[in-house]
Amino acid sequence: MKAFEYYAPAALEEAFDLLDRFEAEGKLLNGGTDVVIQLREKLIAPKAVIDIKRIPGLRGIAYDPEHGLTIGACVTMNELGNEALVCTHYPTLAKAALSVGSKQVRNRATCAGNLINASPLADTATPLLAYGASVVAVSREGEREIPLDEFFVFVRKTSLRPGEIVTAVRVPAIPGANGVFTKISRRREVDLSTLCATVLKTGEGWRVAYGSVAPTPIRLRQTEALLDAQPLTEERITRAVELARSEISPISDVRASQEYRLEVAGVVLERSLRALM
Amino acid sequence: MRAVGESLQRVDAIKKVTGQAQYVDDIIMPRMLYAQVKRSPYPHARILRIDTSKAEALPGVRSVITGDCYTKRCGLYLEDKNFLAVGTAKYRGEAVAAVAAETPEIADEAVELIEVEYEQLPAVTNAVEGMKPDAPLIHPDLHTYKVAPIFHPVPHTNISHHYKLRKGDVDKAFEACDVVTENTYYIPHVQHVPLEPHCAVAQYDLDGKVTVWGSIQSPYAVRQALSAAFDIPLNKLRVISPYVGGGFGAKAGTTLEGIIIPLARRNRGRPVKLNYSREDEFENSYVRQGLHCRIKTGINRDGKIQAVKNEFVWDGGAYTEYGVNITKAGGWASAGPYDIPNVWTDSYCVYTNHPVGGPYRGFGMCEIHFAIEQNIDEVALKIGMDPAQVRRINGLRPGGVTGTGEVMEVSGFHDCLEQVLEDIEYDKKPVDPSPTRKRGKGVAAGWKSPSQPTNAGSSAIIRMNEDGTFILMTSGQEIGQGSETALTQIAAETLDVDPALISCRFGDTDHTPYEWQTVASRTTYCAGNAIKLACEDLKNKILDLAQIKLGAYKRDLEFRDGFVAHKLYPDRKVPLSDFALGLSFPDGSGVGGPAIGVGCFTLENNLNVDHDTGMGSHPAAFWTIGCNGAEVEVDTQTGHIKVLKMVSCFDAGKVINPLTYTCQSEGAMVQSLGTALFEELKLKDGKVLNKSFVDYKIPTADDVPELVVKYVEHPEPTGPYGARGVGEPLMVPGAPAIANAVYQAIGVRFRRMPITPDDVLKALREQQENEKG
Repeated sequence: MKAFEYYAPAALEEAFDLLDRFEAEGKLLNGGTDVVIQLREKLIAPKAVIDIKRIPGLRGIAYDPEHGLTIGACVTMNELGNEALVCTHYPTLAKAALSVGSKQVRNRATCAGNLINASPLADTATPLLAYGASVVAVSREGEREIPLDEFFVFVRKTSLRPGEIVTAVRVPAIPGANGVFTKISRRREVDLSTLCATVLKTGEGWRVAYGSVAPTPIRLRQTEALLDAQPLTEERITRAVELARSEISPISDVRASQEYRLEVAGVVLERSLRALM
Repeated sequence: MRAVGESLQRVDAIKKVTGQAQYVDDIIMPRMLYAQVKRSPYPHARILRIDTSKAEALPGVRSVITGDCYTKRCGLYLEDKNFLAVGTAKYRGEAVAAVAAETPEIADEAVELIEVEYEQLPAVTNAVEGMKPDAPLIHPDLHTYKVAPIFHPVPHTNISHHYKLRKGDVDKAFEACDVVTENTYYIPHVQHVPLEPHCAVAQYDLDGKVTVWGSIQSPYAVRQALSAAFDIPLNKLRVISPYVGGGFGAKAGTTLEGIIIPLARRNRGRPVKLNYSREDEFENSYVRQGLHCRIKTGINRDGKIQAVKNEFVWDGGAYTEYGVNITKAGGWASAGPYDIPNVWTDSYCVYTNHPVGGPYRGFGMCEIHFAIEQNIDEVALKIGMDPAQVRRINGLRPGGVTGTGEVMEVSGFHDCLEQVLEDIEYDKKPVDPSPTRKRGKGVAAGWKSPSQPTNAGSSAIIRMNEDGTFILMTSGQEIGQGSETALTQIAAETLDVDPALISCRFGDTDHTPYEWQTVASRTTYCAGNAIKLACEDLKNKILDLAQIKLGAYKRDLEFRDGFVAHKLYPDRKVPLSDFALGLSFPDGSGVGGPAIGVGCFTLENNLNVDHDTGMGSHPAAFWTIGCNGAEVEVDTQTGHIKVLKMVSCFDAGKVINPLTYTCQSEGAMVQSLGTALFEELKLKDGKVLNKSFVDYKIPTADDVPELVVKYVEHPEPTGPYGARGVGEPLMVPGAPAIANAVYQAIGVRFRRMPITPDDVLKALREQQENEKG
């Protein structure tokens, strides 16, 4: 690991100063479960590592029925998954958060970090995509809210601009929404997703989000439209499964083959729909 | 009995759960230097030039070495190995240069500054291909290598050992059989993944004395290998192995020790440490060899197997100094625990440009039994007979004859089989919880003998302290398997004292006595025998003195609960401590001197097999036999296999400690489950694609099924208190039992491990297409 300077700013302003100073050579550090590995495996060699965990105001979880849920950038997966409000109003998100890595990893890893890392198989991305969540990015110029489906650009690439720091994730309240989060992995505990998905039934219709089937976690808009059009019949489920398989473009890798992901993607949709019917 | 057969808590438990037990990485010494290794990025390449000047110029770097510094080859059975590549790099990750520096960080940086120019060579990445005459040769000078006489390299090929077994006349037998089948199987490379990665420290004193502290299973074998490699007399080379955080075979031979000794030699007086990362562990230590397996079987409709013809092709990796013996072990056990009149086996060890294959719990048995035990099920179904019945008919009974022609005096095969069938409720067909969740049950048997030299030796020393407590000295290593506890129990039993009065010391070639190796499930048996002899020696010496003290014949005296006591008059007794420094008389004189017992053990009449036929009357010290059963549930839509239950029953001869036996058995079942369902070193063009726990999965607590542990005890005539080794055999039938259960659940035979969800869905698709077609 190449030597770097370590900073732990006590305020956002201070962090902006550091980002200005180091520009592309400054790397923000949150839980560190991705960044430290990237450092160790020499995938990155920043001049400065800027730890945002001492900045006040980034650790809270807030909920109200009107504005929904706000998850501070430094909220860990265990904090998120075990929070009663999240378990009550966003059970798929709680389940997804608690499916990440091991308990020890979840004590460090954050939901915001999970999104910023922009892995195609980010576990918390699919419930958040289904709920229409957005990411709050703050810079000297002010604050902007980026809808999650515009936030992910490509494999490990987001639409964050230089100088921006993610301070929170906002999740709208969808009263009466009911969903299923599924993680398919080689081993049930402490594993990455071979495929993950959230199927959400709202008052208006269906939301379907998948991970590990495309360069980014994605919503399956055509499948959603098909499901929304008419009541759920056996025939419609079969068609939805076929459509979903055509809407995704998984690859083969060390975890599973493309054929496996295509097949299981359909199985997951069918099982989720039946559970929510 | 007072100690043997008791569930004594592990004597090392407090130290281990509190973190006080010392492992090599805990050793931090003044003026210590840190080593790091430059590794080949190619599976096979000629080293054209190594420029170490930039690394040497880096402040804080003390020494840089390359293979040219030490060109002498070494190896346990076949001297084919260099600790740093000489001439060519033979696997991706092979050490080509190493540095010693003031800090680990400087060492890392220095390695980056070493420039190596390579010429890539064609690589052998498949053992079967590697046997072909036109395959690139990895060791062109193999015919000149020094080799132990029981191994037979084939000159000018990649075959470093060809083991032959020829019993009866298989071809004639096949002609007469009702049914002849042929099946092939493949077992991929896996890694041992011990909790503690390899670590070693070496120090070269100014007077030429060398000390190596290592995470080492076999300090004496390592001392011997390093002595030969570096021309250090044994009295000047001390190998110390503190607690070892799991070995499973990976720490039986020499690995990183040979890299730091030359660095220490250049920095006399300064200890040099090298610590492997988990990633190193997967690629640069040892792996379990891959195996291509072909079995031809002739069976009659009455269920009697008449003939078996095996071809085993082992993917030995770049160096097979240890692997040749796995090839031999696989060959001589190739009939399985069955009485088969005609057996023909060719077992080949083949060089490939893969990570170095080495000993792994089971020493070839887990691999061959994945094939043998599925094959038994396959041939049973071919003749329409229950596989359990085929095992009953062919299983070795007392007086039966093994594949190598040895008569089995003792065999618990049938007791174990029946126990396992009962515990898995074999006769009760499992009920599928839903049309997409299918259940099945399977059983498998297995056997193993220690693959040790026929004259392997063990020794032990027991010293009595002034207060009647004891120090037991052995070099049977505690590697997590519980030997410290079991060996203490054997000593306590023999001396008839409380085990708490005995402290065990091991792992220091300058101080603890010779032990060939802590491998082969031989420690309880071999070290145990030496300890029993040492304790008997001590008893004998003390009873000589007690005759005088008690005025009674030796034959009427015995050790009883810390006393020497008269057998007929129990009140006539003297505490053992009275003899600790010999016997003293009222006039101030004494006789005898301090009480020390010495025990040396070599199994007698243990003979090599015949060179051309592989046959022998008593080649194995003993055979440990047993069975596993498994029940699984397969999700036919996602392909996931959940193991619901596993059962185990082995003939242990005598269980020294039922508690630690149970732990060994449970661990073995879970480890076999890992290989059956998760574990595989994914190799592509010689590269390990999954060299971390991110993509190399082993079972977690969540994957552990209901486990039932049973044992039977038909005493081993030559074992201490009738015990035979169990550590490895317990793992052998687990994976095929699971595979057989999967077959019963979904009707698909998987001839390759691990059985992944991907494989299951693919196979089910093919099954569906075949049914349609």
